[in-house]
Amino acid sequence: MRLKSAPYGFRGLLSGLMVRGLLWFALIGCGAVQAAVPALDSAKRSQLSQHEFWLLLNRYERDAWGRWRSHVVDESFFLSKEGLQDPQAELVATLKALYAPVRLADQHAQCVYPARARWLREQLQLTDLPKVDCPAFQQWFAEINPHHVVLVFPAAYLNSPSSIFGHTLLRVDPPEAADRGTSLLSYALNFGAAIDDADNSMLYAWKGVMGGYPGQFAILPYHEKIAEYNRLENRDLWEYSLDITPDEAVRMLEHVWELQRFDFDYYFFDENCSYRVLELLEVARPGLRLTQDFHLTAIPTDTVKAVQEAGLVTQVRYRASRERELLVREAELTEQERTWAKQLAEGERTLEDTEFQRQPTARRALIQDAAYRLLRYRATGKDRDTQTARRSYALLRGIQDNPPNPLEVTQPEVPELGHQSRSVTGTLGQRESRTFAEYGLRMAYHDLNDRLTGFPLGAQIEIAKLAVRQYEGGHWQFQNLELAGIRSMTPRTDLLKPWSWQVRGGLERVLDQHEQEVLVSHVSGGGGVTQAWTDQLRTFGLVTARLEHNRNFGAFLAPALGFNTGLLWHNTLGGFVLEGSGDYFHNGTVRRQFQATQQWDWDKNLGIRFSLRRDFTQGFEPVTEAGLALRWYFY
Amino acid sequence: MKRILLGSMLMAVSFGALAEAPGGPGCGWGNMLFKGSKGLPSHLVASTTNGSSGNATFGMTSGTNGCRTDGTLTYDGKPMLVVSNMMDELSEDMAKGEGEALTTYAVVLGVEPEDRAHFKSITNQHFAEIFSSADVTAEQVLAATLDVMKRDDRLNRYVRS
Repeated sequence: MRLKSAPYGFRGLLSGLMVRGLLWFALIGCGAVQAAVPALDSAKRSQLSQHEFWLLLNRYERDAWGRWRSHVVDESFFLSKEGLQDPQAELVATLKALYAPVRLADQHAQCVYPARARWLREQLQLTDLPKVDCPAFQQWFAEINPHHVVLVFPAAYLNSPSSIFGHTLLRVDPPEAADRGTSLLSYALNFGAAIDDADNSMLYAWKGVMGGYPGQFAILPYHEKIAEYNRLENRDLWEYSLDITPDEAVRMLEHVWELQRFDFDYYFFDENCSYRVLELLEVARPGLRLTQDFHLTAIPTDTVKAVQEAGLVTQVRYRASRERELLVREAELTEQERTWAKQLAEGERTLEDTEFQRQPTARRALIQDAAYRLLRYRATGKDRDTQTARRSYALLRGIQDNPPNPLEVTQPEVPELGHQSRSVTGTLGQRESRTFAEYGLRMAYHDLNDRLTGFPLGAQIEIAKLAVRQYEGGHWQFQNLELAGIRSMTPRTDLLKPWSWQVRGGLERVLDQHEQEVLVSHVSGGGGVTQAWTDQLRTFGLVTARLEHNRNFGAFLAPALGFNTGLLWHNTLGGFVLEGSGDYFHNGTVRRQFQATQQWDWDKNLGIRFSLRRDFTQGFEPVTEAGLALRWYFY
Repeated sequence: MKRILLGSMLMAVSFGALAEAPGGPGCGWGNMLFKGSKGLPSHLVASTTNGSSGNATFGMTSGTNGCRTDGTLTYDGKPMLVVSNMMDELSEDMAKGEGEALTTYAVVLGVEPEDRAHFKSITNQHFAEIFSSADVTAEQVLAATLDVMKRDDRLNRYVRS
């Protein structure tokens, strides 16, 4: 408290003396004298409590009936009993609490709510606030020492299409991070669901999507996040340095302290990690507007785009996953050398093997590095085992003796260059002799034909896809509603042998009588293998199973086994998919389908799609359908 | 209901509750090379919840005898997470003589920027001494590193005896 800076002359002097007196009394264990809580008139109260920053700090949003309600669902976050629904009551209670006796120390409102305190102090020129020591907050704050903020985006991992949505978190660097040349000592600021580890995997996933878990902020060492994404989940990391000033970083962290331990609603689609991260940036820089476009869904790449468009990104850095590094290393080896690497990793041969020793030194360096990487890749997520540890150690000694040339991973195109996540499609088509127009909407996100930039080849995730069709003569029909459709065509290499898989479910039309389509509901899935022939060409083969409810079938549910095989080719026009599938029902029905689709990427958010398809159902004439579609990606 | 993760890190707990005997198992002293990393049971889980599985320390107070009161391995009062929690990365970087974990190690040992290249080269040369076996622990790695530094003309000034 400096008397010079007090704006109200005598009153400032008086209050300064009062604070001193207060400190003095606090020292001798008596906090009886207090500065007065300033009385606000109702206009001021109302103006401040409706201020967008106050609403943001406490996450107030209007509900469907226009009433205020906070997203922080924990009542203990609020000082007022009505705080959850009443911004003004909370404001008044906060103001009062800021003048509470200082002996509360860490429990004092100034320590518990440093961001609220700062804002109210600035808005109301509260020069007479009691001076409180907050050892817990200060220690925490000093350890993080916020100075610079980086938005971190773990990209999609092909064999986990649900990760295609990505995730965003923040990294907070101390002032010295830039000179250190390492960010492993920085802290990550993550918003995620607080998981009950008694739940099993499926329940986790379900509750994650449906909002069954509360969300919480967490601060944890950044190197753990790298280990989690780069090593454990094989996801590349993108780090976007943000143009956030040290003062703004401080304000943001003060606010994070307020939110610690408190539960938020967490929903996979909208009130998720990315939404909360954008809110924090809005707190860092009052007046910044990033969240307004994301009330229905907040897909992490879209949030990266929002941050880019706000001009906040100063620099982008790419961190390849361990799996990608291994694949890049593998690509440098011949087939024979890959076999060596595998044998070394599996312990079938050792570095002392005479045949291995006859290889040129530089080649041996690459082989043993690949072997080491493969061994560690396979050990990830498993318990430590002595044999693997011994072999790893022997390989490390070999590497130290004969180091490989540094790995050069080409940086892929930045993910935010990818197409927008929702799309509408208008199709003109011909089904045998009948012409039709079809109108489609997809809420998210990417299929095998869509523009590839920013996405991995062979991954598809579609959520809520709907189409209606109008035949010549005005006959309208509901064509399909796919709730979810996920495909993961991950190629196998000499060293890595991932499985490919797919699953989808919803309502669709199938050929039943001559040129007649019947609407059925189904769940289908399959597993198999994918082979990469070049970077742009893949073939796949899967065994499939299907469960269908069809009103023309006798049984309520009809099971089928089948196949799905095809080819993916990313050519100069765009994505091409050629595939055939068959379903052999237990009740004797056989259905086969052949389909070719080529997309022409017109620009980032516009595509033209040609498709040709032939349906065969045993006992009926086959039906051919051709279509020309215009596809627009928006939002 | 036990929650893996998150909130735990925000120092909800008092320091006293976290206190750990110096050299105790939670200190990271006993962390062995090639322990590997573990996480949530599946990708699907990880990507729908974005929860995290870490139970890292978020301690603040300096302790004595190589441990902070939260039980983190320290040297000269500074946390040595790079040794106790990033041993796999560190061993690989040191075998190759380069990498971010090795840089981090130099930083936490207080090695000035102008000596870091030298530090990397020296520790690379003495890799077999610092990581002396597959079962080496964080404590042994730190002690052996200090030993190597002590014998080096440029690096011995960083070793507090």
